[in-house]
Amino acid sequence: MLRRLWRSTFGVVALVAIGFAAATLAIGAIAYIVTHEALEKQLDHRVSVETDALLQEVKEGGIASVAESIRLREATRTTSSLDYLLVDKAGRSIAATVTPLVPVRAGYEEFFRFRRDGYTGIGQSLTTALPGGMLVVIADRRDLKEIDRTLEILFAGALGAMLALGVGAAALIGWLTRRRLARIDATAKAIIAGDLAQRVARDGSESEFDQLAATLNQMLDRMAALMDNLRQVSSDVAHDLRTPLTRLCNQLERASTGQDDDERVDAIHAARDQANELLEIFAALLRIAEVEGLAERRALAPVDLSALLDEMVDTYRPDFEAADRRLVAAISTGLQVRGDRRLLAQAVSNLLENALRHTPAGTTATLSASGSGEAIDVELADDGPGVPSHEADRLFQRFARAEASRTTAGHGLGLALVRAVAVGHGGDAILSRSTGGFAVSLRLTRSH
Amino acid sequence: MRILIVEDDAETRAFVAQGLGQAGHQVATSLDGRDGLFQATGGEFEAIVVDRMLPGLDGLALVKALRAAGDTTPVLMLTAVGGIADRVEGLENGADDYLVKPFAFSELAARLNALARRPAPRNEPHQLKVADIVLDLDRRSVERGGQRVHLQPREFALLAELMRNPRRVMTRTMLLERVWDFDFDPKTNIVETHLSRLRSKLNAGFDEDAIETVRGAGYMIRGE
Repeated sequence: MLRRLWRSTFGVVALVAIGFAAATLAIGAIAYIVTHEALEKQLDHRVSVETDALLQEVKEGGIASVAESIRLREATRTTSSLDYLLVDKAGRSIAATVTPLVPVRAGYEEFFRFRRDGYTGIGQSLTTALPGGMLVVIADRRDLKEIDRTLEILFAGALGAMLALGVGAAALIGWLTRRRLARIDATAKAIIAGDLAQRVARDGSESEFDQLAATLNQMLDRMAALMDNLRQVSSDVAHDLRTPLTRLCNQLERASTGQDDDERVDAIHAARDQANELLEIFAALLRIAEVEGLAERRALAPVDLSALLDEMVDTYRPDFEAADRRLVAAISTGLQVRGDRRLLAQAVSNLLENALRHTPAGTTATLSASGSGEAIDVELADDGPGVPSHEADRLFQRFARAEASRTTAGHGLGLALVRAVAVGHGGDAILSRSTGGFAVSLRLTRSH
Repeated sequence: MRILIVEDDAETRAFVAQGLGQAGHQVATSLDGRDGLFQATGGEFEAIVVDRMLPGLDGLALVKALRAAGDTTPVLMLTAVGGIADRVEGLENGADDYLVKPFAFSELAARLNALARRPAPRNEPHQLKVADIVLDLDRRSVERGGQRVHLQPREFALLAELMRNPRRVMTRTMLLERVWDFDFDPKTNIVETHLSRLRSKLNAGFDEDAIETVRGAGYMIRGE
């Protein structure tokens, strides 16, 4: 119960208020004790000074003189005057302003009870033995008690006000917090209920709640974008798999109704190839999805990018030559990145294969790589026909294929993977030229 | 060869078992990880095919347990597509090779063959000799019948890989993995192109083709 209270805003503020009240109480108690002691000392002091004065009179004029002084003082008495009692050896009163209610003993007495004009008082007294009796000087504690009471009331009042204020503040802050959170809560519930367009209302105050609302809205926007993307991808997948699946169906149909064995075997082989192609599409899609989730999952190792690109050129140059195209390398030495060597190889391989597949014979492709500062730019550019600008923007999306390449092999997944790899390495892939040739750049970050 | 197949998917199991049986191997099968481990430690197998995902004890744990017990039987791990990390994990945990589903049976057979008689990889020799071909790994030179053959770096690596596995079929995927370090399948013919260049350089002046193409499977260097 207490633990749960501590977690609510009301609880926190209330506990702080109680803490403050306790501190007030402690300070009050200390102040009370110090004041009380100081006043007691003051009374003792008055008593002792008066006793000294009277003792002086005893020396000069004897007990009779003292008795006379006491009577004189009684006659000019004010509210804060001291009281006196002079008794002879037998304890009979010689001169007195009060009647003692306790036995008279030599020395200081803190609580000397006495009676005077029908009032019973308590005083601090000093009793001194005289040659012919005892002298008691008494200071009434009434004033002290009054000051004590005043202090008590003062502190009790302060404590009460403190507690009331604290609990009040706790309730108010708790209520305000709840009210502000309720807005966020209501939005979240609306989103859970299915209204994904809902956003947390902002008051523009830039307060912490307003900033939280802004951050939550950003998060919701990002999630909405991802969900849109997902929706788009799944409808793309469904759409783009329909064609090869239909072909597969047709081939199986042909196999089941084939006239002779040759035709049937032929159709079965065609169907198998079609199925393999479908599997390839799935493999490529899964690969992209995997690479997209890569950044957070995988420890990347240093990769000698220059060496890797040289190897890629060596690997692909024969294919380019066999296809009557040229592959030129312009690769700076000593380029190093942190990453996954195989994925980088696959990205570059996809670019090279695009250049091989979607260009006319006689095309020259140039694989260049250079670094400036922390940035590394890897570009594959060709002097082919390029792509129309209205198609250029979506080339990096899954299943995006330029209209002109509809008839050539491929699934439109190559550049999507290139971008996924670049993004997975903290960089990006962009179309750096689409007219008068075609060029894609990978922006990566140098490592040392 | 005595081969153990640990695979929970009935169709894959039957497909692999039947194929290996027809190829003349003795095949034992197991449906889950625990039983698989039990059989693997008890039987004298020359190779084990393990699926990555298994009920009870998964493929990784099985291999790990097997290796912890000091068993060095070659293990080929099977996995579903989309497992970049799986591959590394599998090899780190003691699997010897890795094959992504779906696969062609010829690919599996070639890999099992390569695994089962794999020589100790520790002390790599300085020279490889198969028939009349001598490949010097230190000097990076190749001679056939005493005549020097000049090769490009990729062609040299390709020949070295074939010569490390004499009289064994190397599939296209195996060559891509081992020579190029590609774990993806390029749509172009880089293996074929390089092989045909290598072949024409090696065969220049000789009647007999040094490299045999095994239809539907891969390539093999001709031994004595």
